[in-house]
Amino acid sequence: MLELRDLRVEYGAAPALWGVSLAIPERKLVCIVGPNGAGKTTLINAIAGLHRAKSGRIVMDGTDMTSLPSHRYCSAGIAIVPEGRRLFTRMSVRENLEVGSYTRAARKDRDRSLDYICTLFPAVRDKLDSVAGSLSGGQQQMVAIGRALMARPRLLLLDEPSLGLSPLIVQAMFGAIREVNAAGTAVLLVEQNVANALEIADFAYLLEEGRIVAEGAPNVLFNNPELRRAYLGIVPGH
Amino acid sequence: MTFPSGTLLAQSALSGVFIGSLYGLLGLGVGLAWGLLHVINLAHFAFAFLAAYLCYQLASVGGMDPLLTLALIVPLFAALGAALQWVLERFDVSPLNSLLATFGIAAIIEAGIQWEWTADFRKLESVYAGRTFKVGVLFVPLPELLTLLLSLILAFGIWAAMRYTNLGRALRALAEDAPIAAAFGINRRAHALVLAGVCGALAGIAGVCLALTYTLTPSQIYAWVGVVFAAVMLGGLGSALGPLTGGIVIGVSEAVTMAFVSPSWAPIVSFSLLIGLLLLKPERS
Ligand SMILES: Nc1ncnc2c1ncn2[C@@H]1O[C@H](COP(=O)(O)OP(=O)(O)O)[C@@H](O)[C@H]1O
Ligand SMILES: [Mg+2]
Repeated sequence: MLELRDLRVEYGAAPALWGVSLAIPERKLVCIVGPNGAGKTTLINAIAGLHRAKSGRIVMDGTDMTSLPSHRYCSAGIAIVPEGRRLFTRMSVRENLEVGSYTRAARKDRDRSLDYICTLFPAVRDKLDSVAGSLSGGQQQMVAIGRALMARPRLLLLDEPSLGLSPLIVQAMFGAIREVNAAGTAVLLVEQNVANALEIADFAYLLEEGRIVAEGAPNVLFNNPELRRAYLGIVPGH
Repeated sequence: MTFPSGTLLAQSALSGVFIGSLYGLLGLGVGLAWGLLHVINLAHFAFAFLAAYLCYQLASVGGMDPLLTLALIVPLFAALGAALQWVLERFDVSPLNSLLATFGIAAIIEAGIQWEWTADFRKLESVYAGRTFKVGVLFVPLPELLTLLLSLILAFGIWAAMRYTNLGRALRALAEDAPIAAAFGINRRAHALVLAGVCGALAGIAGVCLALTYTLTPSQIYAWVGVVFAAVMLGGLGSALGPLTGGIVIGVSEAVTMAFVSPSWAPIVSFSLLIGLLLLKPERS
């Protein structure tokens, strides 16, 4: 469904991605892992249309998106839960969700989407009329995921959704992500929380210093003892 | 200082409310552009005066009802506002530079007005001028009352639109985090043009109110800048109801000072309020 071909992104003259190629098939949950500063956020933001690529192609359903303005990405079926959530903190939770369903197609399903999100995250229902900035970190993350789901995406991009959250909330979050994926939405998940992410992923890429250095099914990819030690903190034999 | 009579106090406060509503009406467009588009638009004041002169021309010379001129002035100034925004975007003007650029545009418009209408004072003599009601002991002039009503309707209308329409929510989202708003499908450029058009229309309406209530002369354009900025800062950037509230607070304090202390003290009141506010609540600027 989504295909990146030799994508190169720069900040000023400093390249952050050196030519990344990857594919996200329909309905799959794909995970990108890698150390801090590897370029994961840059990559996911480029797919959401937040960064212009220097060269290479972003192709969604066979359509070249690379030169489109960022407001055209959402109606192609892509929605992002950005790093640090970036809610509209001065607006209410309901308004945040409504902005999520801004595109014409999503607007038609607004009530149904809202209902779905309140079922997925019951805590959100009680907070609909609160100012988004007043919510706890975990609740804000749920609203950020909800806002993206309001867009009715076929590809959901998640940038470190578990960052800074308590283990209990992280479990709920991963449960919800799995549920969304099971309902047919493809997911691209960037995570520091590698063990959890790989458990639910169909396919994984390892990104280091702006390059994909390994890829494969999670259990195959992380059979390599060195990678296990580096990313899962697991010492072989234990 | 003599002991104030109740009637004089009430009449002064009322005239303060009236002039304050015009500060608020001018401030509404200035504050929206500043808070949501990050454009500090001095040309707004020149647009308002240009609209006032057009209204004067159409009504005095053309014999139109001054309120009917809105039908021409509103679309014309909406287009002007959007065109200005298009140019500012085209050259990627920063907020500070927008202040300088729009100051230049104001000067050009002032020169144009001067050329067309000269620097002589112009006063629109319309069916509304000089009409006054008596409510209890207070005199209520009709043009000022119309200005107050228009300001209230527009401020509350825009407040509601910001809260309850997709367009309003999109504008607020853009103001807080434009890239993320765009990622959800909101076309920033198109929305900025629409909002700038609304601000232009507001300048046009404020201009008609100016023509109804004031004697016009081109250099007066700048006399309004300080006090309207004070009203905007007092009420909060990007707020719909703030400038009107701020404008009325300033208008009333000015009018009461004028009546009971001395007219020359009036500007000191509004700027003391502004400076005090900036010192006490620096995060507002
Ligand atoms: N806005 C920016 N300006 C300049 N350099 C940046 C910016 N954002 C990220 N970088 C650089 O790009 C590289 C990749 O960053 P990022 O995509 O945030 O990595 P990750 O999400 O994997 O931690 C880092 O070297 C970082 O310093
Ligand atoms: Mg990151």
